[in-house]
Amino acid sequence: MIRLPRQGWVRIVLSVLLILSLYLLSAATENTARFGRLYLWLLLLNGVVLFILLGLIVNNLWQLTRSLRLREAGSRLTLRLMALFVVLAVLPGMVVYGFSMQFLQRGVDSWFDVRIERALDDALTLSQASLDQRMRDMQQRLEDAAGELSDVEGEMVPITLGDLRARTGASELVLLGENGRIIAASSIDTANILPHRPEESILLQLRQGRPYVGLDPIENAGLHIRALVQAPGPSGPSSKRILQGLFQVSPRMNDLADEVETAFSEYRELAYLRGPLKDSFSLTLSLVLLLSLLFAVWSAFYLARRLVAPVSRLAEGTRAMAAGEYGTQLPPGGNDELGFLVRSFNDMSQRVAEVRDAARQSQALVESQRAYLETVLGRLSSGVLALAPDGSLRTFNQAASAILSVPLAEGVGHPLSALAARYPNFGPFAEWVAGHCQGNANEWRAELVIDTSEGRRSLMCSGAVLPGEGDSGGDVIVFDDVTTLIQAQRDSAWGEVARRLAHEIRNPLTPIQLSAERLQHKIGEGLSGDQAALMQRSTETIIHQVEAMKDMVQAFSEYARPPTLRPQAVDLNRLVNEVVELYRGESEQPTFNLALAADLPRLEADPGRLRQLLNNLLRNALEAAGAGECQVSVETAEGEGRYADMLELHVQDNGPGFAESMLNQLFEPYVSTKPRGSGLGLAIVKKIVEEHNGMISARNVDGGARISVRLPQRMASDTRTGDSQ
Amino acid sequence: MAFTMPVWKSIKRLALALGLILVATPAIAQPGEFSVDEINPRVEDNLLAVDARIEYALGDTVIEALENGVELVITQTLRLERKRWWWSNATVINQQRRYRLQYHAISRRYVLTRLANGDSRSFRNLDSLLARLGNIEAWPVIHDDQLNASGHYDVVLMTQLELDTLPRLLRTVALVNADWKLRSPSVSHSVVLP
Repeated sequence: MIRLPRQGWVRIVLSVLLILSLYLLSAATENTARFGRLYLWLLLLNGVVLFILLGLIVNNLWQLTRSLRLREAGSRLTLRLMALFVVLAVLPGMVVYGFSMQFLQRGVDSWFDVRIERALDDALTLSQASLDQRMRDMQQRLEDAAGELSDVEGEMVPITLGDLRARTGASELVLLGENGRIIAASSIDTANILPHRPEESILLQLRQGRPYVGLDPIENAGLHIRALVQAPGPSGPSSKRILQGLFQVSPRMNDLADEVETAFSEYRELAYLRGPLKDSFSLTLSLVLLLSLLFAVWSAFYLARRLVAPVSRLAEGTRAMAAGEYGTQLPPGGNDELGFLVRSFNDMSQRVAEVRDAARQSQALVESQRAYLETVLGRLSSGVLALAPDGSLRTFNQAASAILSVPLAEGVGHPLSALAARYPNFGPFAEWVAGHCQGNANEWRAELVIDTSEGRRSLMCSGAVLPGEGDSGGDVIVFDDVTTLIQAQRDSAWGEVARRLAHEIRNPLTPIQLSAERLQHKIGEGLSGDQAALMQRSTETIIHQVEAMKDMVQAFSEYARPPTLRPQAVDLNRLVNEVVELYRGESEQPTFNLALAADLPRLEADPGRLRQLLNNLLRNALEAAGAGECQVSVETAEGEGRYADMLELHVQDNGPGFAESMLNQLFEPYVSTKPRGSGLGLAIVKKIVEEHNGMISARNVDGGARISVRLPQRMASDTRTGDSQ
Repeated sequence: MAFTMPVWKSIKRLALALGLILVATPAIAQPGEFSVDEINPRVEDNLLAVDARIEYALGDTVIEALENGVELVITQTLRLERKRWWWSNATVINQQRRYRLQYHAISRRYVLTRLANGDSRSFRNLDSLLARLGNIEAWPVIHDDQLNASGHYDVVLMTQLELDTLPRLLRTVALVNADWKLRSPSVSHSVVLP
């Protein structure tokens, strides 16, 4: 069953009503007794409907124009369909209308035949002619009667008049005075008391001496002949009286005349009404056509919209899909091909939306895994670099950036060599990695020492080729900073050595010294001359060397001794100034360039140990400078970046710098490039720095060596606790 | 130039065309008009009667219809209204006289028939008929004793051509054609009744 929307039902009902109204109108036009009275009302009603339809069409046109201007979906198709419907409805309608009007005009005209009209005119003339003869007879008869009345006067007049009426066969005889006043009357109809007074024009005619005779149609009494003649009075012709006679026409004649009169009148009336009749038919026909056409046009709008609606919805849906609104669902549209199209569109849209959702979910999964991986990588202490197959940096973690002391973020998407161009320290690492990656091995592992802006570092690297073809392939490089580990191992070994050495050496030293003193005391006194001098020199040498060895042992013992720190708030700048003051009077006449940061926060440290540290560093610098002008720069600063909670101390000399071969073991005991060095200076410095949980690094800069120390502003609590014990 | 024409020449042509149109147009039909010229109420023997004179002019269109067999009905309406200072006048009596006018072709006479009683008279010409129709003599309105209250009254007279009695086809035309709208204004005359 076809389902129609509410508007469709309304239109059907309206069209039935319209047809009914038009039928009534046409029925009324045909002048049937039933609808004749309704005609005007129907005309008015249909006129109102006409205007309403016109208004609706104008409204629809306006809406269509607005849609076209706004370029709404389906508006152009609606216009085309509309135009098609209108042409299909209007053209045949107009053709039928034209022919109908022509038929109507000719048809109505054909009812009125000239011959009939002439025949009726002739019938009328004939009737009048046949009556004329009788009228003359009656006039003659009345004139004769008037003659008989000429000598009648006074009370005799009514009697004579009655007698004359009977003789002449008149139905009424009236004698009038000259002024028209009634003198006497005699009538066959006794009910009619008073006869009518003649018209003034007739009286005037009589006064002029001309008698009057004419027909007089009297209601309910039929056709009569009225004649008026002059009736001289008894006093001679000067007393002018008038005799009026009313004669009935014979019933046969009367009937015939009546029929002729009726037919003639009706025909004349009908002929006269021919114009209004044609107008009326034309009006009805025009109204019917106009209403039908307007209704068709109005319905054409509706039909065009109804046909186009699914198409416009499809167009809108497609536009929405194109704009990314997947999952757009259109209202279902019937069981025809358009409905099938709408259903297919809905299915497609739903599927696209499902695929889109799945893609979103997998993307979210990938994102979460990526975030997870980034978190894991970020928390790793090992540095991780991932390289694309073309060697460009794809991703890295924070530890990689910290270990290499290079802002790797700047190099993402570029080859490592590009970063190396900006940061020369990074060059060797980049080349080394590139070399390994270009190799054929799927996995490799190697140790590498690199220079960074924060000192030399030992890295344990391993690399592997990532699985996948094309863009998804590449290499991953994982590396650990093992500098501290190696150093700790060395320090530990050296500590053990120092402790044993001190222990093993210190014990025999005192007996050696005592023995030498005893030799000098016991034997030296008994010798003379050169022998005594030899003895003296030898024993003193032994004693001095033993002293020196004791000092050395003491130093070793101190190196190996566990730290006993007494931390307190220390003004680093002030300490530097104090220590530098001690060296101003040195024989080398050193020049100190102090660059001390203002408002430096206080440092929690053992001031004695710090003083020792500064002493060692300054002495090391002075000794390194060697001959010539000695220039030592001392800088203090507050740490930045990841060293934000640390204070920095840099000591730089203008000496030849560290030997390249020594850089790795610089802070180990008995490593010295200087002729006068004890070999423990920098090892003790490093030990003090580590006691304070600090960091130390050394590198060569232009015109000298530079040692950087970073000390935390607050010491870790466990260290302090350990110290107090 | 071949395509230019002096302005005065074109005006002359226009005037000529207008003149031709005026000459060709049939003589403008004489419009009809009804008017109550005089109304004179009088009380005689306790009877209120009204004399009046009404001018009837039918107009060419209506006369043409009449002579073509169309019957006309003319109504004379007489109203007696009691004056009220606080409201519109109250109608005491509303009387109507309806007359039929027809042309009798065989006798060539115009027939005037009063529809209420069938009284008819024929006239040689229409003017006589209309003069007779317009001459109202002693239209009896009401007896004194039938009045509920004495005082100031208005006698109102008006007349009109009835359109409802015309043939239906003509009725449609008559509704839109002013020639058929024959209706006199209401004319009133005050009268004090005892």
